[in-house]
Amino acid sequence: MSFIGKSVKRIEDKRFLTGKGKYTDDIKLVGMTHAHIVRSPYAHAKVLSIDTAAAKAHDGVVAVFVGSDIEGIVGVPTGWQVNFKNGDTMKEPAHPLLVRDNVRHVGDAVAVVIAETKEIARDAADLVEVDYDVMDAVTDPKKATAPGAPQVHPDAPNNICFDWELGNPVEEVDAALASAHHVTTLEFINQRMIPNAMEPRSAIGHYDDALDKYTLYTSTQNPHLIRLLLCAFVLGIPEHKVRIVSHDVGGGFGSKIFHYTEEALMVWVSKQINRPVKWTSDRSEAFMTDAHGRDHVTTANMGFDKDGKIVALKSDTFANMGAYLATFAPAVPTYLHGTLLQGLYTTPLINVNVVAAFTHTNSVDAYRGAGRPEATYLLERLIDLGALEMDMDPAELRKKNFIPAFDGIEQPGYQTQVALQYDSGDYQPVLDKALEMVGYEDFRAEQKKSLENGKLLGIGFSTYVEACGIAPSAVVGALGARAGLFESAQVRVQPTGKVSVYTGSHSHGQGHETTFVQVVADKLGIPMEDVDLIHGDSDAVAFGMGTYGSRSLAVGGSAIVKSIEKVLEKGAKIAAHKLEASVDDLDYAEGKWTVKGTDRSIAFGDVSLTAYVPHDYPADLEPGLDFSSFYDPANFTYPFGCHIAIVEIDKETGKVKLKRFIAVDDVGNVINPMIVDGQIHGGLAQGIGQALLEGAIYDEGGQLINGSYMDYTMPRADDLPSFEIDRTVTPCPHNPLGVKGAGEAGCIGSTPAVVNAVIDALWKAGHKVKDIQMPMTSERVWNAMNN
Amino acid sequence: MKLNGDHVLKAPRNVVWDMLMNPDQLVKITPGISELNKRDETNYEAVSEVKIGPVKGKFKGDLELKDLVKPESFTLVVTQQSKIGNVKADVVIHLDEVGNGDTQITFDGNAQMSGLLARTGARVVSGVANSLTKQFFEAFDKEIELMNT
Repeated sequence: MSFIGKSVKRIEDKRFLTGKGKYTDDIKLVGMTHAHIVRSPYAHAKVLSIDTAAAKAHDGVVAVFVGSDIEGIVGVPTGWQVNFKNGDTMKEPAHPLLVRDNVRHVGDAVAVVIAETKEIARDAADLVEVDYDVMDAVTDPKKATAPGAPQVHPDAPNNICFDWELGNPVEEVDAALASAHHVTTLEFINQRMIPNAMEPRSAIGHYDDALDKYTLYTSTQNPHLIRLLLCAFVLGIPEHKVRIVSHDVGGGFGSKIFHYTEEALMVWVSKQINRPVKWTSDRSEAFMTDAHGRDHVTTANMGFDKDGKIVALKSDTFANMGAYLATFAPAVPTYLHGTLLQGLYTTPLINVNVVAAFTHTNSVDAYRGAGRPEATYLLERLIDLGALEMDMDPAELRKKNFIPAFDGIEQPGYQTQVALQYDSGDYQPVLDKALEMVGYEDFRAEQKKSLENGKLLGIGFSTYVEACGIAPSAVVGALGARAGLFESAQVRVQPTGKVSVYTGSHSHGQGHETTFVQVVADKLGIPMEDVDLIHGDSDAVAFGMGTYGSRSLAVGGSAIVKSIEKVLEKGAKIAAHKLEASVDDLDYAEGKWTVKGTDRSIAFGDVSLTAYVPHDYPADLEPGLDFSSFYDPANFTYPFGCHIAIVEIDKETGKVKLKRFIAVDDVGNVINPMIVDGQIHGGLAQGIGQALLEGAIYDEGGQLINGSYMDYTMPRADDLPSFEIDRTVTPCPHNPLGVKGAGEAGCIGSTPAVVNAVIDALWKAGHKVKDIQMPMTSERVWNAMNN
Repeated sequence: MKLNGDHVLKAPRNVVWDMLMNPDQLVKITPGISELNKRDETNYEAVSEVKIGPVKGKFKGDLELKDLVKPESFTLVVTQQSKIGNVKADVVIHLDEVGNGDTQITFDGNAQMSGLLARTGARVVSGVANSLTKQFFEAFDKEIELMNT
């Protein structure tokens, strides 16, 4: 039975579509209390006093805690270390569960009220009187590092977390730029994004004093890592005494990777009150406190020779960390951004500098793509603008600079100037295919003609490569990860031949219960109905590093394949015994072992039954058919693609209409084309959302002024055209499925394509505008045309 | 947020000045305000309830009158706290004689908001401020009319 490569409908959708998903907030425990967190309305203030008397006296209130009640707990840590270029260790100020001295962003947690109901907790929280001495705030990462800027932490001078460098020596890059035929320079802001998962975060702490065990139910992409951080770094609880349960999770886009203060706080509170306690974020809290994404202020230079070959690239970025370092924060602008600045091009000299800055804003961390969209935006804006400035064709300019094809087997991987070695790539076919789909020559003719009729049409390109399958432990360990990023899988064959698969990956919308089951059923030659996937419970699954960085199938799927291989190896020994044949004489296909050249065979279910009822059994074999594996990838995987946007701009209003969007992605082998298409579609919507609609706005005082759906513009169906998508397939040479990852591709490639299309339309109409700040609202585009 | 505007009142400047300095009059004409307690000549405690877009809050705090140049100008400093966020505003108010015994009142200032108010109300708050200002001056006109009859 073959399932790999088939668009099987998603198994999990039945429960999602019938309202039977099990989310953290759906869980009701006996005796459960409810928490409401009192949050700072100010971005920067000294907490002079907190009066909780009235709240404590309110009917139905169980307890009220403030920062000084939590003795000896420093706070939640970050998982990555990035050093200054001079070798100094980055600044890592504590992120307390409840603040003790100063509040450092709007939404910083000041107190927690525990009550019998959610409503009482909320009412009583209004009675907590906090006296603040308000101070000046800084929200821009570049301004934060200027002399005299308000300080976020006393132990991070000039608000600098680290000042990091990668690539070739800056002197060499500067010299190459100085002697280049043409240098394209761009200063831009990659604006702050709010992830907006459909399900708000939720956490239930449950301390069971009879067992002396803790359970944390939480809406996370990353249950085991949360347990590790919670136990070893925050609360100091033995790891075997803690269970993390994360059933269904309604979206994350990165924002649910991280170990949040609320998770540790609920576990701690539950022990204090000896009752379960639930906290569920409301939408307003989600806007304020779910880790945000992007927020880079960048100046970049790309130098070309007279033929258009790129001779050097230099980038200087100020990356906003927010007030506290979230779990992956330091890695995003560095190891997931600086290392991607080779792009698809043979650029011989690259220098990347990143200054990470603390500001009086919410934490910034991985958001779909995490660093790679920022890298792609930087490169693809520069090369498209370079083409306009040099009056060259943007597609031809890219072709001149593409790294030649390499499969990673016959030809070695491509060593970049910025640490990574690409596994396999064949870049021109994605561009050629996209050009054919868009009808490039016809479009250029139409563009010219439409201009004569007063219409502004533009085309924008983006050719990207990303690093997925996060991540080879040795590589990321050397880079500063404080954990290896392997994955575990257990394939437990039950006596009747039905299979339970335990994975450390965690689905929050990706369709693992379908894709992973397709892989298992395909490899074992059994019906998909005979396989179930279990994830999101640290007592059931051996270990896991969670789901992010497009890693689930490339890393988690590979661990499953390793376990399947072990099952089949042992199964063959049992089959050989039963068939009185040699293992070498057996073939496995269609769910049975057959003696080659005969019709003598034994089915998978008969072998599994024998393994559990081992009366007639190989003497040297243990009973049972149940294997665990850990898979640590040899390298990242490197998906790539070409995205093309066609826009029309209304001359009178500056309104941008996205007319067509073409995406040709190469994500390696594909298990379920329908699910990959869905991932690409969703990613495109998010990437286009950043270009045209979305963006968090903090005012100068540090107030988040668009923290609701009235003001934060999410993309809707009618903002988007029907996507035209296709694929090429360049298998990953180093994992058993040949897969590269598809979760982030749409979001990584699409944003610069849209911006480039708008810039192209304006240039062709005579407005030589280099940049328009995203989101490209009508007002901004109109001003670009009229000022 | 910028706060500015002007309005012509059908009353002499001294009368307008006195009305603005009289807490009982102000409670009558200021929309949403329920209490205005005089602490001293230039300091008041105010309680009000205002609906701003999707959020409604009971505000409590101080009003301070500064830089009084009778009967020409003064600065109003408002600091109000509420569970939906806090407001701090500085507004300079000028009274000018414009003929026919009328007085033009001009105001110019800034307001800063925090919390939920900033997060969800920012987009509509200038509209709300305009509408409250309109109501204030309509009530002011009415008071003057009553006084004149």
